[in-house]
Amino acid sequence: MILNGEFIAFFILSVMAIGGAVFMINATRVMHMALSLAFTFFSIAGIYLLLNAMFIAVIQILIYTGAISILMLFGIMLTKHRDEDRPAISTRHLGISFGVVFLFLGGILFVIYQTPLMGEGTAPLTVQELGTSVFKQYVIPFELASVLLLVALVGAIILAKKEEE
Amino acid sequence: MGTYLLDFDWTVMAPELVIVITAALLTILDLILKEKHSYPVTKFLSIWAVGLAGYFVITGWGDSSYQILADTYRVDPFSLLFKGIFLLGTLFILLFSFAKKRINEYYYLLLTALLGAMMMVSAADLITLYVGLELLSISSYILVGIQKRKKQANEAAWKYMILGGASSAFILYGMSFLYGLSGSTNLYVIQQAVQEGLTSGYGAFVYLSFALIIIGFGFKISTAPFHTWAPDVYQGAQAPITTFLASISKAAGFALMLRVLILAFSPLFTTGDWERLVSPLLLTLAALSMIVGNTVALKQTNAKRLMAYSSIAQAGYLLVPLATMGMLLFPSMAFYLIVYIMMVIAAFVIVEQVTDATGDDDIRAFAGLYQRSPLLSLIMTVLLISLAGLPITAGFVGKVLLISNAIYTQHFVITFIMIATTVISYYYYFGIIRQIYFRSPANQNPIPIRWEQGLILGVSIAMVLGLGLFPGYLIQFLGEVDWGSAFQMATNSGR
Repeated sequence: MILNGEFIAFFILSVMAIGGAVFMINATRVMHMALSLAFTFFSIAGIYLLLNAMFIAVIQILIYTGAISILMLFGIMLTKHRDEDRPAISTRHLGISFGVVFLFLGGILFVIYQTPLMGEGTAPLTVQELGTSVFKQYVIPFELASVLLLVALVGAIILAKKEEE
Repeated sequence: MGTYLLDFDWTVMAPELVIVITAALLTILDLILKEKHSYPVTKFLSIWAVGLAGYFVITGWGDSSYQILADTYRVDPFSLLFKGIFLLGTLFILLFSFAKKRINEYYYLLLTALLGAMMMVSAADLITLYVGLELLSISSYILVGIQKRKKQANEAAWKYMILGGASSAFILYGMSFLYGLSGSTNLYVIQQAVQEGLTSGYGAFVYLSFALIIIGFGFKISTAPFHTWAPDVYQGAQAPITTFLASISKAAGFALMLRVLILAFSPLFTTGDWERLVSPLLLTLAALSMIVGNTVALKQTNAKRLMAYSSIAQAGYLLVPLATMGMLLFPSMAFYLIVYIMMVIAAFVIVEQVTDATGDDDIRAFAGLYQRSPLLSLIMTVLLISLAGLPITAGFVGKVLLISNAIYTQHFVITFIMIATTVISYYYYFGIIRQIYFRSPANQNPIPIRWEQGLILGVSIAMVLGLGLFPGYLIQFLGEVDWGSAFQMATNSGR
């Protein structure tokens, strides 16, 4: 293992990302959960930066760390909620869940370590190339995704609005 | 060949365009018009859109396959046939929905769900397929939860959304491994990359992605052991939505599964891994669905839950041809899907009317139906016989096709399970028939049936009996469809 700057940065960022996720699960206050989630999003943006994906890193900070976290905080503040929320889970249930997740993780790690992954990084994708690709080759799924967003919006409104009469 | 959308003959997208434009129009009209006027307009427009899209599908039938922008959209006989099935099914579900007053957005969401299903069969690119799948799923989550005040509907919508989201994540994770292997989202490029990967040490990657995709699809088409959401969701949703989930949504899942598995993982055939690993895996899923669906249905007393378990079992039957392959793979699957959709829609119409009129969700509601509405009980009897797969109905022909395909490919264990579970299913289907004829009714009031519902029942019963007595025409038609073209590159010739 080579101990260079990149490795150290990756180590710190991944510990931060995992730490944030663990805090999110263990936190008892909803507000703490939202903040630890924002922390995880932010660390993941750093990992994207290490992987030469500048555009995605910026978008990650803008959308996830910025918009989504703020949205969640607003959602928490504007709705009535019990501050301390601790759902009761039986130990048997917990054991089974952890068992399945560990098996899954083990399976995926096994496959990844068995596969000869070549370590040649590709050239970073420019925003221009990304735009061309989205609006030329992938224009049909792009338009379909806008219909999808409209559906989500309409759905959010009809589920959230007060009923008439 | 151009690289812009307008360089292509985009008129092949007419069915989808009609649905998109109508959906957009509906939201605008809902704003402009008063509620009194907008409701009939919405009803009329949605029927009109489905009809017009169906017209474009029929006129496009028989043309050579055509692809746009590296297969992010393609039409071929496979996609046109499935679109036809979805449109016919949605037409019936719209008519079914007219029985009660619903909000305008209901129809809008039904159209977008249909659009998602249509896109799922008309692409050979993972991104379009996935966005189509999500459009269908998200529209369905909202449609399930549209009755906000009903506790059961809320529970159903939550369960459906969380499990549906998780299954989509599995599919996406599996797809990401395919992308990592090939560097492309195009299924033909992926096919090449899988071929090379299998011989150069990337086999484990291919299997991992296959396993993840199968888990995701297993949820979407509700096969055991991924079926647990289905009974709760089917019970909680409004009857037309339950029908949509059990018919169109399931058929779209099967079509997507056929396209992705056969295109991306076809190199497994040549190495013999399909026969050794994939086929037993799919057969296990199919066998589990048939056994779990049919045995748990024995204990159900709620009519909608019973139908849910019956549909889990039917998913198992439909999965068999995909696992065994063989000559009749596409014709038998398409035949059974068409028949299944007709049966399930008509059966849900009757279940809804009977439970509504009696005010009881239990199958007791059917008690003495023969004395209340003789014609309705005759129709229900034929439908149940067809669902059980007994002669002179289309369900029998469909099951015979599925079973003969399994025998033809020499899979005798699964054939035995199919026959054994079919026999088990007689018990609960005949349980309803026993209620209809041999129990005394709570009252003598006939069950009200509106003309739209009468139309659905009339057409379905004509098809179930017609295809049961003269199945030759449809089988011949399905046999002559050029299924192979769905899995070959489109040359775009002749336009």
